[in-house]
Amino acid sequence: MSARRIHRSGLLRGVSLAAGLVALSTAAKAQGDGARAYWKSLAGASAVTFWSIDASGNTNPLDEAQVVDPNADFDAHVALLGYHRTMDLLGRSATASFLLPVGNLEGEISGVPISQEASSSGFGDPMLQLNLNLVGAPAMNDLPSVLRYEPKFTLDLLASFALPVGEYDDSSSLNLGQNRWYGRFGTPMMWTFGPWVPGQRTTFEFLPALWWFGDNDDYQSGQTLETDPIFGMEAHLTRDLTETAWCSLDSVWFSGGESEINGVGGEEIDNVGVGLSFGYQINDNLSINTSYFSTIDDSGSGDLRGDEFRLMFTYGWHPLLQGMKRLSGE
Amino acid sequence: MSFHSLPALAAALLIATLASLAPAQAVSEPRRPNIVMIVADDLGFSDVGMFGGEIRTPNIDALARSGVRCTNFYTGPSCSPSRSMMLAGTDSHVAGLGNMDEWLAPNQRGVPGYEGVLNQQVVSFVNLLRDGGYHTYMAGKWHLGKQPDQIPRARGFERDFSLLDGAASYFDLTGLGASSPRSIFTEDGKYIDRLPDDYYATKTYTDKMIGFIESNREDGKPFFAYVAHQAPHDPYHLPNDWLRKYEGKYDIGWDALRQQRFERMKELGILGADANLAERLWYVPTWSDLAPVARATVGRKMELYAGLVENLDHHVGRLVDYLKRIGEYDNTLFVFFADNGAEGTDLGQMIAGTPGTRDYLFYVVNWSQTHPNAWGRTHSYVSYGPGWAQVSMTPFRQHKGWLAEGGIHCPLVVSGAGVKRAAGSIEDGLMHVMDIAPTLLEVAGVELPATYQDRPVQRMQGKSWAPMLAGQTESTRGEQDWLGWELWGSRAIRQGNWKLLWQPKPMGEASWALYDLAKDPAERHDVAAREPERVQRMLALWDEYAKTNNVILPSRTPFETLEDQLPPRVPVDEGYPPLKFKKPFVPPTPAPEGKAGER
Repeated sequence: MSARRIHRSGLLRGVSLAAGLVALSTAAKAQGDGARAYWKSLAGASAVTFWSIDASGNTNPLDEAQVVDPNADFDAHVALLGYHRTMDLLGRSATASFLLPVGNLEGEISGVPISQEASSSGFGDPMLQLNLNLVGAPAMNDLPSVLRYEPKFTLDLLASFALPVGEYDDSSSLNLGQNRWYGRFGTPMMWTFGPWVPGQRTTFEFLPALWWFGDNDDYQSGQTLETDPIFGMEAHLTRDLTETAWCSLDSVWFSGGESEINGVGGEEIDNVGVGLSFGYQINDNLSINTSYFSTIDDSGSGDLRGDEFRLMFTYGWHPLLQGMKRLSGE
Repeated sequence: MSFHSLPALAAALLIATLASLAPAQAVSEPRRPNIVMIVADDLGFSDVGMFGGEIRTPNIDALARSGVRCTNFYTGPSCSPSRSMMLAGTDSHVAGLGNMDEWLAPNQRGVPGYEGVLNQQVVSFVNLLRDGGYHTYMAGKWHLGKQPDQIPRARGFERDFSLLDGAASYFDLTGLGASSPRSIFTEDGKYIDRLPDDYYATKTYTDKMIGFIESNREDGKPFFAYVAHQAPHDPYHLPNDWLRKYEGKYDIGWDALRQQRFERMKELGILGADANLAERLWYVPTWSDLAPVARATVGRKMELYAGLVENLDHHVGRLVDYLKRIGEYDNTLFVFFADNGAEGTDLGQMIAGTPGTRDYLFYVVNWSQTHPNAWGRTHSYVSYGPGWAQVSMTPFRQHKGWLAEGGIHCPLVVSGAGVKRAAGSIEDGLMHVMDIAPTLLEVAGVELPATYQDRPVQRMQGKSWAPMLAGQTESTRGEQDWLGWELWGSRAIRQGNWKLLWQPKPMGEASWALYDLAKDPAERHDVAAREPERVQRMLALWDEYAKTNNVILPSRTPFETLEDQLPPRVPVDEGYPPLKFKKPFVPPTPAPEGKAGER
């Protein structure tokens, strides 16, 4: 074995492993964060994400409280921008994220005798998020630790926090910003089955989370909107199809979250959605995944009804990876 | 009765008691020992604990502690030649393995002694043991022929579970290349196309052997059990629970580990205090020159190898425990050895390294799991390369395939029934794998006949170790006894402490070199120019060896283009060039203010 061959072998191995860093935390959405959102990678990696979301239904898809208007029919064309950074926090793998929704919401609320139309465009509420591993994924500060990473079970602690600075018009029933503080605490978990080898990975991912909401004191012309916490569960059964492609069966369930407007209570939500995802690693830096969600058991007048198609691009990089690529002439 | 008569009475009683026992002793013959022979495929000289290795091998070590470690034991430089010599007690050029079947040269085709299988000119000692009243069992790798008259059943094994190929998956029937796409197995003389559901080579071979012994336990006949493990031959395949046992253990690298083993071998007495260590092969980089990820990647291969060796030891322990449980351990002679030096060549790459070939396509389909987390699992092909092979062969030079000590100097442990040497002792006399056949025949009390099945039987060239093991002689061979080797054009003679060696470039100089192995086991100093008369005498021995064994130097060899493939050979000087290896300069810490210039 020549020195050159060993160096080359190590280099390429490092490149292919570092490619995993594009699987970074994604945004929080009512339909769930999505499959493979909390996979771990080399500390010090960065990624930007771009989501394109097309959603329709009887709730504002950017409102995590999922307040249903039975007469509404909303359409959303929203992009969600994100920046993510993996790090070593207390010796554990951690990811900090900044997410910013931008785009356009349109809707029509059917009424008698007239129907109302509403729209909103601009920036939504930015969200800060930190995911810290507690079990199963020590910080990976160098390529050897990435090389040796083979998770069996991981348990994380997730905290998200939205800032109420997004576009908000109190006269409109449809807004990109929510005009109140909100956030969540969750515990992402992942079980793996079989070897942690590209092309063979199978995971079951589970995220129980509790969303909390502050009050919106300027809801639709000065009313007060209060929302009880929502308990959500998100589950994904994912499987590699090839070394670079994977798919997932997805489901979400949200419960609780009774909203009151000026003290008048609404109904608790009890929403279930199912979906499919497909992901593909385009190259060492770029991946794409797409998913479709739809609510089920949604025939009641107060049930949340909606579907969503989303497409996400993730571009990730790490100084080590980039340097190796430069040296290898890629 | 007076008290004075008591001694007389006691004496009378003793005589009467002995007299009553005498008839029973006269009718029962001494029970012949069972023999368990365990072969580790490509295991290195220094891998097991009692030979200086850091790999956990408590069961093999226990055999060594109760028996003899033989530190001058030689085999052939490759698998099937060694095995042919082991079974026939003759040189491989006589037994049919003058060359490996896989590498038979055009000028050797059709020549007796070059059949590529254990030929019919020799008799397997196992046939003689069976005829001599032994049960004869085999489990594991055969590699000495696949035709019905060449398989273990035909060569003396009453029961067998045998991989006929030279290497294969440890998990299933996947073969190594397009010319042997599926491994061929026999069980009790029948070809089989299905393996047990929970098949893992090392485990299954042990299970089968225990089953064979158990099946005939009640009839009281002694048995010969040949466990020819595939481990630790590549590809390195391990059960899931064994994959991570050595994680990070080899981050220290081959240079430091080789030094550690070297020191440990001296402490154990495996090497003399003034033994030297071979230089690192010139095409293997200094460990400190590798990036961390390259170290982790390359180190992972050694981690798997170590796990494979420990797993092998675990199953050796299962067999030993079984024999203890059934009360046969104390009447069993154990022989444990490796069949050749550790493997430093990537066999998978050698077979399939040329894109566009049918072997390449076979490799793509069957052996292309190259991610490090896939290593050790099914459809991955890992071998650890020359850097680690040199560790396994500490303190020697080179590795399997070559006639430098690293190719042919192997560990041997003999323990158990009939071994009268001090427990844990070290035997440094010259021994050879050809000696096994005459040794085991003598232990079993079986004579070598002049003819076998109406064919004359070749004289065995090996020498029995039985007198040495019984403590009757110090060593099996004296200073004037000599041994010879030839494979793929490399050739060697060892007489006493001297070794005459010819190897093609670039591993050798394509000329005869002479080494004094007593002072220079690492073969660093060619003293041929200083000892021309000795060279001439030993060249005469080579001529005799070649003539006696009909050695035909091959017109083609697997290494014929090696000089073009490897980088130019240069001396290995540790720390050269300083540009790469010197430590970064750290400016001196400034003296605290007011202290400058003070003394």
